[in-house]
This record gives sequence, structure tokens and C-alpha cells, in this order.
Amino acid sequence: MGARPEAIREEQKDLEFETRNNSQAQVGTTFGEAFVHISHLNVYYNDLHVLKDISLDIREKEITVIMGPSGCGKSTLIRVLNRMNDGIPGFRFSGKVIMDGIDIYSKAVDPVLLKMRVGMVFQKPNPFPISIYDNVAFGPRIHKLFRNKQELDAIVKESLERAALWDEVKNRLKENAMKLSGGQQQRLCIARALAVKPEVLLLDEPASALDPGSSSKIEELMVDLKKNFTVVLVTHNMQQAARVANNVAFLYKGELVEIGRSAEIFENPKHELTEKYISGRLV
Amino acid sequence: MYWNKKSNVEAPETADIVARLDWRNPAVISNYRNRKITNNLIKLFSLVSVLLVLYPVFDILYMFAYKGVLLLSIQTFTETTLAGGLSNAILGTIIIIGLSAGIAIPLGVFGGIYMAEFSDRSKYASVVRFVSDVLAGLPSIVVGYFGFLALVLYFNWGFSPMAAGITLSILMLPYIIRTTELSLRKVPSTIREAAIALGSSKSQMVNRLTLRFAMPGILTGILISVGIALSETAPLLYTAGFSNYQPCGLCFHSQTAYLTGIIYTFYTTPTAEFQNMAYLAAFLLILTVLLINVFARSLLRRFSKL
Repeated sequence: MGARPEAIREEQKDLEFETRNNSQAQVGTTFGEAFVHISHLNVYYNDLHVLKDISLDIREKEITVIMGPSGCGKSTLIRVLNRMNDGIPGFRFSGKVIMDGIDIYSKAVDPVLLKMRVGMVFQKPNPFPISIYDNVAFGPRIHKLFRNKQELDAIVKESLERAALWDEVKNRLKENAMKLSGGQQQRLCIARALAVKPEVLLLDEPASALDPGSSSKIEELMVDLKKNFTVVLVTHNMQQAARVANNVAFLYKGELVEIGRSAEIFENPKHELTEKYISGRLV
Repeated sequence: MYWNKKSNVEAPETADIVARLDWRNPAVISNYRNRKITNNLIKLFSLVSVLLVLYPVFDILYMFAYKGVLLLSIQTFTETTLAGGLSNAILGTIIIIGLSAGIAIPLGVFGGIYMAEFSDRSKYASVVRFVSDVLAGLPSIVVGYFGFLALVLYFNWGFSPMAAGITLSILMLPYIIRTTELSLRKVPSTIREAAIALGSSKSQMVNRLTLRFAMPGILTGILISVGIALSETAPLLYTAGFSNYQPCGLCFHSQTAYLTGIIYTFYTTPTAEFQNMAYLAAFLLILTVLLINVFARSLLRRFSKL
């Protein structure tokens, strides 16, 4: 096991661990603004131990980047946050994931409703082969988030504007989504996820399948999105992480090696593995 | 070019071997010529095979089309078989096929949806799949015999369109279930993942999306099944019998005429008049099958415009 990760504490927050009732406190992580609190999470696929004793916080309305080499468990970790792993055979876990004060794996939580609060965008753009309008309207339609057509139109417009796609498609909303370019499709997927008004947005390497121009558009978009949403980003791209991240968590072989503010991690990494990875010497 | 290690001749330098094995080498060129000849021979052979297979098809179409067009008249549709027309048989076929499709299509499509979406881990599903496969392999006359024993005799429905419809639906069901399940499974998992991530529950909304995708395949399966039902003779002989009068609808104990039965009954008769009816029935059946295929293709084209 590597050294216990330490996050930089905000100057205003005091050390209040002893006063907290929550015995899952992890030394060094800040709780004040944490929206998602992961505590001693272990994930197994049958006998394969994929995530080993992960404890970290996702802070509200900030971009948290989870990075690490291939196969270190990044995708598994963010899928834990919206319970997308539930359907996978052999999946079991221990530990707690607490979002907004609620244990999301408790029996009281409906996974379908959870996905309304936690949206996800995948690596390869996967719009439905229907019209652009219907793509964005899909979420609101299944959750009945509107009362009449005007409201649905407004939701679609707002989501597309938030995804920086409205100007490009406002005249062709009825066109099939597959006619869009890769970057546009990915922004459409982001708009589609935004349409159900989530609080947390999980982005699993959203720009890795795109050319640099679209990739930088997505980055601008993320910085814009964090004003309203909590963003968790998985990326391979160190430069992208350095550009957009507020917090960075470095995962290696299923273990959380280090977590902290992005400036600290990139300029002054505490752990030697982190330093190796950042300088590209870790495979 | 095989160099035996035991030979006394020294192996040439590697560079020499490589220098000889390129496009300038006459051995390579003649090898290429041989390959071209073989290629062309196989092409020719394939073409001849296809023509041999297609010829009887065209022959059949031509023969029945020729006779059929000559014999077709308004009478065919207005008079019953007593008067040289086929109206009772046409109506009978429509009623029977309509019944069997009405039973088999809903059951089959929903069964296929269940198999594809809900039953991945249950033993029940594999049992259903096995039974469905066995059903598909049963000889149609056996199913007809079963229909005769169970519906005509035991339930005492007598020869009736209901008995025929149910028997035919048993024959259609496995195909519809199988094609529905296969079409649904072919929907890419990325689409399903995206829908689940948006919070759609498995049953309602994933089907809103995946059925759209799978519809071409499902419709093809349905049309194939209807084609199969149209072409059945033996099971209908046991369950619908034969009649020269207009069908009575959904009555029991009322024998019904149907086009394939007309052919069966009349093609060995000595009178030209009856034989003509058999030709006409065959022609109408071929026409219907052709129309179904054309309709299926146009539907597929409309759906591929997605």
C-alpha cells in the first residue's frame, strides 16, 4: 500500500475530525464542501480486486480529475458513483459511498432516480440514431420533466446552449444526430445528460476520441459547466487535467496514491509514483 | 526452394533467396497466372450454380403467371368454387391467416422481448428457448395432427377456422420469437448504456429505443412467418377441411376452403375447369408471396432511413 493520501485543507476549515460522529473519517480529506464522500471502498469483479480501500471526497461545483495509467480502476470508480456497475455480473463491493448525505447503495435509493442526479458521458460519443431534438428530449420524456411542449422546447434549448451546441444546430433540430461530426456528437451527449438537470456530471475520457479542436471545445465547456455542476473527469491526458482540474486524484493499480488541489499535485507531488506518472515515466 | 539441412549443397545467402522472390521472378508470374485462371473458373462455376438454381424458379413463375394471367377474371373473386371462382378460398385463407397472425404476432413479439431483455440469467429462459427450437423443427403435419386431435376432436370444435388458426400460430410462433430476440440483441450496447445512464428503467424506456432499432428485423421475421403460414397445406387439411361454400367466419364445425387446399384437391382432377382453378390458386399464392416480399423491402427501406 502506498502512503496515506493527504489533501490540502482549506485555510478556513478547522481540524474537526474528533467532533464528527461519522467514524468513516479519513485523515486529511476535507469535508466542508464535499458533495460525494467515498469511504473505504473496495470493488471486486468475482475474485479480481479492482479498487482497493479508496477514500476520497468529491467537492461540490469543482472539477475533480481522476487520473492514472490504463487499468488502474478509473472507469470503475466513476461508475460506482452512478451505480452503473450494478448490472455487471460478479460485481461486489464493500465500503460506503455517500452523496449529499445519503448512502447511494442503500435499499432506500432507487438506482433509476439516482441517475437523474448523476449524469454520465462516455468516451465514444453515442447519440441515439434519432433526431437531435429527440436525443436531448429523451431524458425529460422518460422522467416526465415537463408539462407541455413549450417547456420541453425550453429544456432542449437550455441544454444545448449549456453544451455550447445550440448555435450550430438550432436550425436543424429535426436532423438525425448521426449526421453530426464527432465533436458535435459528444457535445450532444453532454447536452442529453444535462437535460435531466443532474447535480453531478461524470465524464469518462470525453475528449479522447476527438480531434484537438473539438477536445479543447469540450475543455472550455467543462470549465463553464463547473459553475453549475459538480464534475468528475477521468482522463489520460495530463495537459488536459492540468488545464481544467481543481482537484486531482491519482490512482495506481486500484489504490488511491495521492489526492489534492491540482496545483499541488502537478507542481509539488508528495508521492514518488505521482511524480513518476506526471513526468511520464510511469507506464 | 526447400533446403535440406543434410544436403551437401550449401544454403545460399538470405539475400539471394529474397532477391529471387519478387514480382520479376517468372515463377512468381506464372503462379499469378494460375491463380487468375483458378479464380475465373471458380467465378464461372458459381455463376452456373446460381443460374441452375434460379432457372426452376423462373420456370415456375413463368408457367403459373402465363396460365394465371390468362385465366384470371372478375369471376375468380366473385364466384365460389362451385362456379369456377375462388372467392371462398380467398376469404378462407384471409380469415385463417388473419387469425393465426393475430395470435402469433403479439405472443411472439412479446415473448421475444422477454427473452432478449429480461431473461439473461434465468433458467426459465433457456427452457423456453429450447422448447421454441424444438417447436420450429416439428413437421407441420405433426402439428396439424395435434390440432386435429386436440381442437377438432377433443374440444369438439370440428373443422373450423379457429382450429386452423391456432394450429398455424403454433407453427409461426418460434420464428417470430427467435427473430425478435435476435433483432433486439443486435442493438448496440452503447445505445443501451447511454439510455441506462440517463435513468431509463429496463422495461419501458429501453424498449422505446431498442424496438425502433430492432423493428426492421422484427418485421422481417413476422413477414417470413406469414409466408410460412400461407404455404402450409397439411395442417390445414386436418383442421379446416374443405368446403365449396363461403366461410362462416369464426364458427365452429364449419369447414373452410383455402388456396393451398384448392391446389391439393383440384390438381389431379380430370376436368380442365377444375385444373384451371388449381392453376389460379397457385398463381394467386405466388402473387401474394411476391407482394409480401416487396412490401417487406419497402418497409426495410423506410426504416433504414433512420
